[in-house]
Amino acid sequence: MSKSDEKTKAAVIPAKPDIRESIINFLKDGMDKGVFDSVIIPMKVPSGDSFAYVMIKDKSILKDGSFLPPVMPIQGGRMVSSVTRLGKTDMKTAVVMRPCETRATIELTKLGQVDLENLILISMDCPGVLPLSDFLKDPEKNIKLFDDAAKKLDDTIMRPVCRICDKSSMISGDLHIGTLGAKKDTFYIISNSQKGNDVVEKLGMKLNENIDNWQTKVKSISEEKQKNREKAHKDLKNEIGGLDNLVDAFSKCINCHNCMSVCPVCFCRLCYFDSDKVKHPSENYLQRAKNKGSIRFLPDTTLFHMGRMMHMSLSCVSCGACEDACPMDIPVAQIFSMIADETQGLFDYVSGRSLDEPIPLVVYKEEELHEMEDAND
Amino acid sequence: MTKALIINKGVEQGIIEFLKYLLDSGKVKAVFTLKKINKNGAVAFSLISKSEDLDDSVPFYPLMPVNAGYLLSRFTMKEAATEPVVAVLKPCEIRAFVELIKREQGSLENLFIISSTCGGVYTHKMSADGLVEKNLTKYWDAVKKGEILDDLRPTCRSCEEFQPYNADITVDIVGKNDLDKQCTMLLNTEKGEGLAKDMKGKLAEKNLDAKKLDNFRAKREKEKKKLFDEIEPKIKGLDGLIDTFGKCISCHACGKVCPICYCTLCEFESPDSEYKPSNYETELNKRGALRVPPGTVYYQLGRLDHIAISCVGCGACEDACPADIPVSIIFKKIGESVQKMFDYIPGKNLEEELPLSTFKKEELSEVEE
Repeated sequence: MSKSDEKTKAAVIPAKPDIRESIINFLKDGMDKGVFDSVIIPMKVPSGDSFAYVMIKDKSILKDGSFLPPVMPIQGGRMVSSVTRLGKTDMKTAVVMRPCETRATIELTKLGQVDLENLILISMDCPGVLPLSDFLKDPEKNIKLFDDAAKKLDDTIMRPVCRICDKSSMISGDLHIGTLGAKKDTFYIISNSQKGNDVVEKLGMKLNENIDNWQTKVKSISEEKQKNREKAHKDLKNEIGGLDNLVDAFSKCINCHNCMSVCPVCFCRLCYFDSDKVKHPSENYLQRAKNKGSIRFLPDTTLFHMGRMMHMSLSCVSCGACEDACPMDIPVAQIFSMIADETQGLFDYVSGRSLDEPIPLVVYKEEELHEMEDAND
Repeated sequence: MTKALIINKGVEQGIIEFLKYLLDSGKVKAVFTLKKINKNGAVAFSLISKSEDLDDSVPFYPLMPVNAGYLLSRFTMKEAATEPVVAVLKPCEIRAFVELIKREQGSLENLFIISSTCGGVYTHKMSADGLVEKNLTKYWDAVKKGEILDDLRPTCRSCEEFQPYNADITVDIVGKNDLDKQCTMLLNTEKGEGLAKDMKGKLAEKNLDAKKLDNFRAKREKEKKKLFDEIEPKIKGLDGLIDTFGKCISCHACGKVCPICYCTLCEFESPDSEYKPSNYETELNKRGALRVPPGTVYYQLGRLDHIAISCVGCGACEDACPADIPVSIIFKKIGESVQKMFDYIPGKNLEEELPLSTFKKEELSEVEE
């Protein structure tokens, strides 16, 4: 939820004939009136067996928009970065994504990988997504299955991290499409920034409705999920706590680093763990084998995961892209979300919540983490 | 006939004893092979210098966590092995390693290679689901009979290069009825003979059973034809490629696990493949809409272009693909057709130069015309 919840008002939009078409009309209206020059939305791929983000200028293509698709083939933050990493786009572009994708986009902005100028970030209440491998078994059937589950707010078939996501309606972009708690056949458009206000105003909509219903519903879902999250993390901690268990958890890792490749926050062009720094002369490996009797080859598998964790856990948005992309089904997103909650909690930081909060490790505070100092006395 | 060493133990046990002998006798200082690394049954390549640690090794385990050609390249890319090491590899892993050596990414110096006729490997999915161990008996039964299992990697089911090139020792496995009683090692090279010297066992003169292997190859060929015929219409023309790779998530895992794709930084992850916002605008004005990030099919075609001549058809790419794209069969099919043009079998002969880096004045004149 945005920081100024109490005062937030929303426009109420009729869902005619349904929410999808209303959003398309909203975007089309925006393009007609020059509020947006282009939009980026998810669409079904030509073969119909998956979804992809498409940047659209030709309004006639908007009709194929498929918001909240059943899978997240590419994390939206990564996608936005690919368009604006080298600078702002001159086209005013509306981007419709899930909340964790918007949060990744905010985080990448702080990391200098996204230029938000001229972008209007629009998020939606998110029911979660299916694990990619589950979805691909029968895309046609699973699209229906997902839609039914989403309508019933049933998360049992979603990604494990979606099932414990307490930020599925968090607003960190400019506008948010709220469906929870809305009257039948309507939805809310909630503004979270001056940019958002401007769009709403130019489109002749009025932010005059209070969103108590939406907030109440979001709060109850979020609290419920938070309970589940704490429990899941506690169970996981018992399972993988300690170095031996951690090594076991990553024992099937094939060192493909795909978790890192798809992670929206892991933005380095060349990862330290793929760089020359980790390529050693043969003598080094032989010496290590002699010291220990035998070593896994490549060595340092757990070190890679811990290193990655060190580098990005403060910015992890728990989206689950890593786990979706792991060929060995290692519960990597669950592990990372558990650690991220702890590290972010330490600094009272929530990744991607607000552009105004700097990433803790780039801020020097004289008075900080005294409890750690004391522990070393 | 080739000299052979026969140990009256099952194949895996026989090889483990042999590897122990090599370590204990000081002929090698380390063994590179697959090993169980924890109680959950995870199997990974390991560098082993203590012979007790070989007790957990599983040299012929039907799994390829990583193509070992890539791993040996990592081991020897900075400097050749400083001490003698023996590596137990699958035929396509040796071939990948040889291709990498041709690209100056490794060295065979101080390495001894043991391989076998290869029955193929199970998929990562089977391993992730914990099903490999339960299906070991089924695997070895099929290997004995020279049959092909449906749950092997598609490239394994259709692999005709199951007899190793460049191995110092070849273990007779495929179609060998008594492989749980007898381990037969063909000593192909002087290096191989040197290793086997003084090892307990029976020396003999032997060859692989050509007829059995021909039968096996025929089955693989049939399977290959089936898989190639299935994929051909699907990848026809740009539309076919867009349909096939439409679900690609651009993670580039196929390239990451490909033993031949050795670049530290892939062209498609470099600044050359990054577009300015103005490029997007130009494209949008031209086309009306644009997939973002762009370049999905372009990446696949580029990678194909870069590696087809050396693709050993190991199947690592498809096994790592989160989107279940039949990428290994596509690459194998295109790879073989490119290789055929140059009469080149990747990894067969270290002396044979890479066709694309060799200038011949008289070549491909039919293309000119």
